[in-house]
Amino acid sequence: MADIREDILARLVALVTTVPNMRTVRRNDTDYFSALMPAAFVLDGDEDVVAGNDGSRPSNRPMLVEMAPEIHIIEQSDAIGSDLTTFRRELMKLVFADATLNSLTGSNGAIQYLGCDSSFGWLEKQYGGVQVRFRFKYPLIPNDL
Amino acid sequence: MSLDYSALLYDPVYAAIGVSATMDGTAITVIDDTRPKVLPAGTADVRGTGPGAFARIPELEANEITRDDWQDALLVFNGRSWLVRSYEMRGSPNGEDLGEVRFLLKAVDG
Repeated sequence: MADIREDILARLVALVTTVPNMRTVRRNDTDYFSALMPAAFVLDGDEDVVAGNDGSRPSNRPMLVEMAPEIHIIEQSDAIGSDLTTFRRELMKLVFADATLNSLTGSNGAIQYLGCDSSFGWLEKQYGGVQVRFRFKYPLIPNDL
Repeated sequence: MSLDYSALLYDPVYAAIGVSATMDGTAITVIDDTRPKVLPAGTADVRGTGPGAFARIPELEANEITRDDWQDALLVFNGRSWLVRSYEMRGSPNGEDLGEVRFLLKAVDG
């Protein structure tokens, strides 16, 4: 049995945990409070079959799929902009260089950085969040599930 | 005849629930208005605290604390120290100068 999607998500959570100075890392939890920050959470995100891989038989044929987990990083500080930039940079370095993730996506897969979105506000200090978006393309082999 | 909202409303309220404070060392009375606050992070919610305090414009002016002094002033009350990061005028039926101001605060080290 090999569920690459789950393996990628689990590895991603493990990697985010190693981002320097990160206090809290959770998966699919959408309820946070100030004392947890700096915090990151990984949401499983959507998955689609790559175009051109979805119209042939047999139904258990191997196919390429793309998954887009969401990685959010939140923090409040007096230097929120540079803090978020640092977290994003460290996360990207970890993801791109990780041998496990690169192995999971396979020779015809890919790890792509799609961009990031940011938001800001005020709590007791200036608050900010950044959503870092990656896309993982990997072979889904139904007979291996 | 217009009602005197300072005498009829603000002064009794501040006497009942106001607390002693200092703004840059000058003694005033404020009402603690620290509130829970929720900010979005994508599809998630981040819960925290939005510190704030009300003060009466006439009392500030009586202590020679003008609007130019408010920004970045050190406000100390209820055992905590804050900096004024912004403010909003609350007005009054007798005019803005006889109303309240709500100070929006931030932690001193932030």
